Amino acid sequence: MRAALSRDNVRAGLIGGVTVLYLALVGMIERFQDRDVITDVIGLGTLLILIGLAGTGYMASRPPKPRPGRKPVTANPALIGLVAGTTAGVLAGAVILILELLISAGVDVRSVLASVTPGMLSTMEFGLGPVGGALILVGLGAALGAGAGALRLLSDQLRDTVTFTLTAVLLMSLMEPILSAVLDGLSLPDRWLYEGGGLTVLGAVLTVVAAGAGRWFWKEREPQRKEAVALLPADRRTLYRKLAVFAAVAFLVVLPWLVGSFISDVLGTVGLYVLLGLGLNIVVGYAGLLDLGYVAFFAVGAYATGVLTSPASYLVREEGQLFAEKGLTNFWVALPFVVLIAVIIGILIGAPVLRLRGDYLAIVTLGFGEIIRTLVLSDWLAPYLGGAQGLLNVPPPPPEALDLRAPQNVYYLILVFCGIAAFVAWRLSDSRIGRAWAAMREDESVAEAMGVSIIRYKLLAFAMGAGVGSLGGVFFAAKIGSIFPNSFGLLVSINVLSVIILGGLGSIPGVIVGSAVLVGLPELLREFAEFRLLIYGAILVAIMILRPEGLVPNKRRQRELHARDAEAELSVIVTDEATS
Amino acid sequence: MSHLLDLEGVSKRFGGVQAVDQVDFHADQGEIVGVIGPNGAGKTTLFNVVTGFYGPDSGKIRFDGNNLVGLKPNQITKVGIARTFQAVRLFGAMTVLENAMVGQHPRTRAGVFGALFHTSSTRSEEERVQAKAGAALDFFGDRLSPRLNSLASELAYADRRRLEIARAMATEPKLLLLDEPAAGMNPAEKDGLIELIGRLRDEKGYSIVLIEHDMPVISGVSDRVVALDYGKKIAEGTYEEVAANQQVIEAYLGKSATQGQT
Ligand SMILES: Nc1ncnc2c1ncn2[C@@H]1O[C@H](COP(=O)(O)OP(=O)(O)O)[C@@H](O)[C@H]1O
Ligand SMILES: [Mg+2]
Repeated sequence: MRAALSRDNVRAGLIGGVTVLYLALVGMIERFQDRDVITDVIGLGTLLILIGLAGTGYMASRPPKPRPGRKPVTANPALIGLVAGTTAGVLAGAVILILELLISAGVDVRSVLASVTPGMLSTMEFGLGPVGGALILVGLGAALGAGAGALRLLSDQLRDTVTFTLTAVLLMSLMEPILSAVLDGLSLPDRWLYEGGGLTVLGAVLTVVAAGAGRWFWKEREPQRKEAVALLPADRRTLYRKLAVFAAVAFLVVLPWLVGSFISDVLGTVGLYVLLGLGLNIVVGYAGLLDLGYVAFFAVGAYATGVLTSPASYLVREEGQLFAEKGLTNFWVALPFVVLIAVIIGILIGAPVLRLRGDYLAIVTLGFGEIIRTLVLSDWLAPYLGGAQGLLNVPPPPPEALDLRAPQNVYYLILVFCGIAAFVAWRLSDSRIGRAWAAMREDESVAEAMGVSIIRYKLLAFAMGAGVGSLGGVFFAAKIGSIFPNSFGLLVSINVLSVIILGGLGSIPGVIVGSAVLVGLPELLREFAEFRLLIYGAILVAIMILRPEGLVPNKRRQRELHARDAEAELSVIVTDEATS
Repeated sequence: MSHLLDLEGVSKRFGGVQAVDQVDFHADQGEIVGVIGPNGAGKTTLFNVVTGFYGPDSGKIRFDGNNLVGLKPNQITKVGIARTFQAVRLFGAMTVLENAMVGQHPRTRAGVFGALFHTSSTRSEEERVQAKAGAALDFFGDRLSPRLNSLASELAYADRRRLEIARAMATEPKLLLLDEPAAGMNPAEKDGLIELIGRLRDEKGYSIVLIEHDMPVISGVSDRVVALDYGKKIAEGTYEEVAANQQVIEAYLGKSATQGQT
C-alpha cells in the first residue's frame, strides 16, 4: 500500500481528474451526452467520464520503464489504480461540489465558465444531485481505477480481450451512421442493433459476446497460426496475399453502394488524403526528409488543374479559344501536365534545401508551404489564380457519363487514382531507388559512401512525392469544382503528416487506415464539429503513446523499434548486474 | 610504376587542430598497408579526406588514374574505393541482405521507369544485385548468410563489423579502407580477421589500407606500415622497422605516459 501511495500515482490521479474536469468545462461532456452509446443506458458523455477515470488507473499502473541505476518500485497495479482513480474522483467530485455551492450562493459562475450548465452538472453527477454526485464520482474513481489497474494483473491474452471488447462496443456505437446505412442499403432490419442513434442493449450484448469470443480465440490460436503461415510455401503465401488484396479492393468497390451518398462523400475526402499521404510518405517515410510544407503540392495540383481547365482562368479566357478548340482544356489532357508541373515545382523546392537536414529542413519547407499560400492569395497573381476569390467553375472530368454529381462516382474516380498512386509508391519502395532512399534515411553520409548520390535521390524523392501528392489537389479541384486559397493552409500539411505518422511511417496500408481514422472519423462525428480538433489531438496522442510504430506499421520499423527497446532493457539489466 | 592510391602533401585542418599535416602516402595494387598512430593522430581523417567526406586543404590525391580532389563520396566509391567506419555504421532498420544490396548501388542503374514497370533489364539487374550481395555475405561463411532477413541492428557486434565489410565488398572496389576492424573483438575473432584480410586480397584481389591499434593484427597482415602522429607521417617501412622507430615508440609512450598520469 505504501508503494502505491507514491507521489507519482497521486500526480497521475490529479492529471486524470483535471482531464475529466477539462472535458466537462469545455462543454464536451454535455454535448456528447446527446449521443447514446447504448440507448437509454449510457450516453457518450457519461462514457467519457468513465473512460477518464478508468484511463487514469490504467495509465498510472503502467509498468515502470526500466532506468539504469534505479530499482523499479513494485506495487500492486490494482492498488496503484485505486489510488490514482480515487484521487481523480475526489478532485472531480470536489470541483463539482464547489461549483454547485457557488451557484446556490448566487454566484454567476457561467459568466466565467460558460459550460457550467445544469445539463453538464447533472451528467457529471449521474443525476444524483450535488452530494450524491460527488460521492459517486469518488466511488467510481476508486472502482474503475482499481479495475483498470487490475487489468495489468491479467494474462496478456485476457487483458487484450477485455480492452478489445470495450473498444469494439464503443466503435460499433460510433459507427452507427455507417452501419445502419449499410443495413438499410441491404434492406436488412436494423432495429435490433441500433435505436435512437446508439446500440440497443441486445446489440451491445451481442457485440461483447462476438468481439470477446472472437478476439479470445484469435489470440488463442495465434502461435499455431503464425507457425502455419511460416510453413506455407512462398508461392502459396503470395497467392494468399494477392487474395487478401483482392478482397480489400472488392470491399472498397462495393462500399459506396452500401453506405449511401453522404458517407461516400466522406470516403472521397478520405481518398484525397490517401493520395496526399502516399505522396508525403515517399518524402518522409521512404527518404526520411521531414517536409512540413507539403500543402504546396496539394495547392499546385489544384491550381494547375483550375488554370488549365476552368473557363474562369486567365489562360482559358484569353488564350482559351485556341486551347479549347484543340481540346486542351480537357481534364484528362491537362492531368499529365499538372503532374509534370508539380514534379518540376517539387524539384525547384527541393534544390535549395538539399544541404539541410532534419529540423532545418522542416522549418524551411514549412516556409515554402506558406509562400505558396501567400502567392495564390497575392494580388500579383490574382489575374491568373483568382486571388482571394479563387478559381470557380472548374469543370468536372468528362465524359458526362461519369456523372460526378453522385458522390459515389467521385469516390470511384479517386479510388482508381489511389490504386495507381499506391502501386507507384509500392514499386518505388521495392526497388533500387527504394533501397537508396532507405539507406539515405538511415544514415546520409554512409549512403553516400555506398555510392548513393544524395542530391539525385533527394530531388527524386521530392519530385515523386510532389507528383503523387498533386493528384490529391487535382481531384480536390474536380470534386469541389472551385478552388479557394484558404483550403491550402498549414493545417493540411499537419493533417497529412499526422495521417502517415499515425498509420505508420513507410507503410502503404498505414496511409489508408490513418486517413480513415483521422479524416473519416471526425467527419462522422460532425455533430461535435466544435470539438473536432480536440478529438483529433486526443486520438493522435493516445495512439502515439499506445502504439508508437503506428496503426499498421511497416514491419521492419516495428522490429527495429522493438529491437531498440530490447537493447535498452538489456543494457539496463547488464548495468544493474554490474552495479549490484 | 605509378601507385594505385597516391597522396602528395595532403593537409586537413579543423579550427586549431592540424588533423593531417603534409602527408605523402601511397598504396600499390595488391598491397596491404597498415596505418598506426595514437588516438587523434589523424588516421580517420586521412580516410575521410581520401573518400571525399572532407576536401583536403592542400595536396594531391590520385587513384587509378583519377584525381579524387573535388569528387563527392559517391563518385569516389564509383571509381573503386570502399570503406568501413571506426564506429560501425550499418543501416539498422534494413535487413542484412538489403545492407549488402545497397552496396551494389554504384554498379547498377535502374531508374524510375524500370522500378515502375519491372522491365526485363531491371529484373535481371535485381537478380544480379541479389546474387552479388549474397556472394559478398557468403564470403563470411556461416556468419551472415543464415541471417539474410535479420535486421542489421539485430546482429551481434562482431557480425556487424563483418556486415560492414560485406557491404563495402558489394561495391566491387579495387581498394578497401578498413578503420579499426578489430576494435571490440576477442583474440579468436582477431585471428579470424587476420585470415579474412589475407583472403580479401588473395581471393578478391583488393588492395587494402587498414587503420588498427592492435599490433598483432597489423604485423600479421601488413606488407608495409605507416605511422602518424599529430597529423604527420613519422615513420614508414616494414612492421619491424616501424615498431623499432624511436619516434614511434615515443609517440606511443608519450601518449600512454600522459594518459597514465590522468
Ligand atoms: N569533423 C571534425 N571536426 C573537428 N575536429 C575533428 C574532426 N574530425 C577529426 N577532428 C580532429 O582531428 C584530429 C584527428 O582525429 P582522427 O582523424 O579521428 O584521429 P584518429 O582516427 O587517428 O584517432 C583529432 O584532434 C580530432 O579531434
Ligand atoms: Mg580514428
